[in-house]
Amino acid sequence: MLTLLRAGRPRRARRRAGRVAAVALAVAAVLPAATSCAAGTSILDGDSLVIGVKPDQPGLGVRDASGKFTGFDVDVATYVAGKLGKTARFVAAPSATREAMIMQGRVDLVFATYSITPERKTKVSFGGPYYVAHQDTLVRSGESGVSNVRDLRGRRLCQVTGSNSWRRVKEERKIPVELVQSASYSECVRDLKEDRVDAVSTDDLILAGFATAGTKIVNAPFSDERYGVGIRSGDIDGCEAVNKAITEMYQDGTARRLLRKWFAESGLALNFAVPQFEGCG
Amino acid sequence: MTVQAPAPAAPAPAAAAPPAAPRRRVRTVPGWIRLLVTVVVVAAAALFAAVTVSIGHARDGLRSIGHTAGPQVVATADLYFALSDMDAQVANLLLTGRQSGGRQAMLDRYEERRSQADRAVLEAADLAGDDATGRMTVRAVLDGLGRYERLAERALVLAERAPAGDGPPPAAVLEVYRQATDLMRLDLLPKAYNLTLDSGTIVRRSYLAELSAVRAGRVWVAVTGLLALAALVALQVYLSRRFRRTLNLPVLAATVVAAGLAVAAVVVLQREAGALARAKEDGFNSVLALSRARAIGNTLHGDQSRYLLDPQRADTYEQVYLDKSQAVFYLPAGNLDKYYAAVDRGVAGYPGRADFLGFYGSEAAHVTLPGQRESISETLKLYQAFQQADRRLRQAAAGGDRQAAVAQAMGPAFASYDDALVRLTGLHRTAFDAAVAEGDAALRGWEWVPPAAALAAVLLVLIGVRPRLAEYR
Repeated sequence: MLTLLRAGRPRRARRRAGRVAAVALAVAAVLPAATSCAAGTSILDGDSLVIGVKPDQPGLGVRDASGKFTGFDVDVATYVAGKLGKTARFVAAPSATREAMIMQGRVDLVFATYSITPERKTKVSFGGPYYVAHQDTLVRSGESGVSNVRDLRGRRLCQVTGSNSWRRVKEERKIPVELVQSASYSECVRDLKEDRVDAVSTDDLILAGFATAGTKIVNAPFSDERYGVGIRSGDIDGCEAVNKAITEMYQDGTARRLLRKWFAESGLALNFAVPQFEGCG
Repeated sequence: MTVQAPAPAAPAPAAAAPPAAPRRRVRTVPGWIRLLVTVVVVAAAALFAAVTVSIGHARDGLRSIGHTAGPQVVATADLYFALSDMDAQVANLLLTGRQSGGRQAMLDRYEERRSQADRAVLEAADLAGDDATGRMTVRAVLDGLGRYERLAERALVLAERAPAGDGPPPAAVLEVYRQATDLMRLDLLPKAYNLTLDSGTIVRRSYLAELSAVRAGRVWVAVTGLLALAALVALQVYLSRRFRRTLNLPVLAATVVAAGLAVAAVVVLQREAGALARAKEDGFNSVLALSRARAIGNTLHGDQSRYLLDPQRADTYEQVYLDKSQAVFYLPAGNLDKYYAAVDRGVAGYPGRADFLGFYGSEAAHVTLPGQRESISETLKLYQAFQQADRRLRQAAAGGDRQAAVAQAMGPAFASYDDALVRLTGLHRTAFDAAVAEGDAALRGWEWVPPAAALAAVLLVLIGVRPRLAEYR
């Protein structure tokens, strides 16, 4: 018993020394990897992606009662994640927090009617765009006097609090319209049907999501809204992989199928050609 | 049990080895020499391999970025430019056709752009290699180009048959031209642009791979060089101790040759890494970005003609014009009037203040070349003049003076701006060519230096040890 103990002590000591050496070796081996990780993680590194989508945008991204997300953006994101060989988990990405969510790493990608703008590009990078939406006008089906945004002169236009779309008509185009306040685009569409406003003007894909019987899209687009894929600035490999996946989505007919699936009923003129990418560098 | 170690092949001069030595394999003197020489040869071979492989990476990287893929990428950037200029010329022809002045020049320019586009498509196909996605895009551009040409031709023929007049062309002409320009702007131009981005990706990947191989190669050359030196020093020390001579001169010479090879290789790899980085960062990246800016700028000019050509779509073309202007030179502005004012302010502030974004924002944020700042400043002033001409164009159009508006659109403002941009791009092009030439020059002779040096070192070692080994025969 005593001899066993005595014999055991040095062996334990030796083992401890060995363990210290092993840990030191492991640290030395991991250290460069860890620092390079901090310098540039890519969405391509992991097996799954956390993707931010809109929770309340009919046709594009909606969260149902069970917490499941559906919509065009969700389908496109699922396709892209599949092409990258990753599984996708969706979270709600409200407009105001999209940049912050990407910069803090809370989401890997954002597909949320996220227009590419130079200001946003100073904070995040953009893959895509996966679709170029256009501002267009929704009117009642019976309306025949509106074929162009200029024809809105003197008519009642819905103005949604917090949205800039009305400015493009009244301020940029300087068209004298009568603005009618509304809390949301779904309320606008109700007002349109009940003849409290004459027109609703915003991105055509958003209009298509709200368009129902009794309304029609004028199909007179007058702006480009490039819906990009938000990604951490600096993840050039990830961004290029997203662009390649989007190219393939248009080449293999998936884009056409998804656009038709979500927006064909609205009567919107859809473009099935791959958009001009923003570039990742 | 007094088993002796195997007797040496030849009687050693210092054979006073104590017989009480521990029982293990004892190497003879020639055995030690042979072992050390073998180590030296292996180390020299490793050094040679490290130098050859690293220099090979440097050469590949330089060839890819400087001679093959790099210039091809710039050629694909010309595809966008050529395509957008084809559509601009068709719009100009339809806009001014019946005033006939310069008609032939526009037709010639259309033809020239068409063959330029054909050549660029071939380059793009070559670059795409066996990448299926890229090849499909190239094919789609080729198909679309054929369709576009048929539509453009039809529009021009219809316009010629139409009765002469000062107003916009008849609806039938516009209808066909709309199909043509939609095909070009919404289908072909985006694909051409994406092809350039894809090719840029190919160059970026190969650059990063070769650069890191060159950098790692530097370390390998240093490590194998030190090993070779250590082996040579060990041989030298053993020989001088064993044979009581001060220095073995051939082995010393071999040491100098090996050290020279290692040091020279590390230095040349360092220079190659620098040349690669300069060619990529100061040259290629800017040339590519400015080619994109030029291509997008050229569509601005086309959008002016289209704005005048098709009143029904004037709002769309005006908005697209603003969006593209902001992609090139961004300052926040909700409409064109505000944008004109912002451009005046932004250009006046440069180079003291560069608070604008877009292509010129990145260019102004990355000033590395002599004369670059002045060239940017000149380009921006002419861009401002182009935007001022655009303001007059739209004022004339809004005031109903179509002739003045068309004259403004056909004026020299765009060409002067475009020329300045070409000069700015040329500055980067020169830096690119200089970096590539410097890299090429530094590599000259490196096909034969590593094998010659390694061989010389080994031969010198053999010459140095031969008389010593002979003493044992």
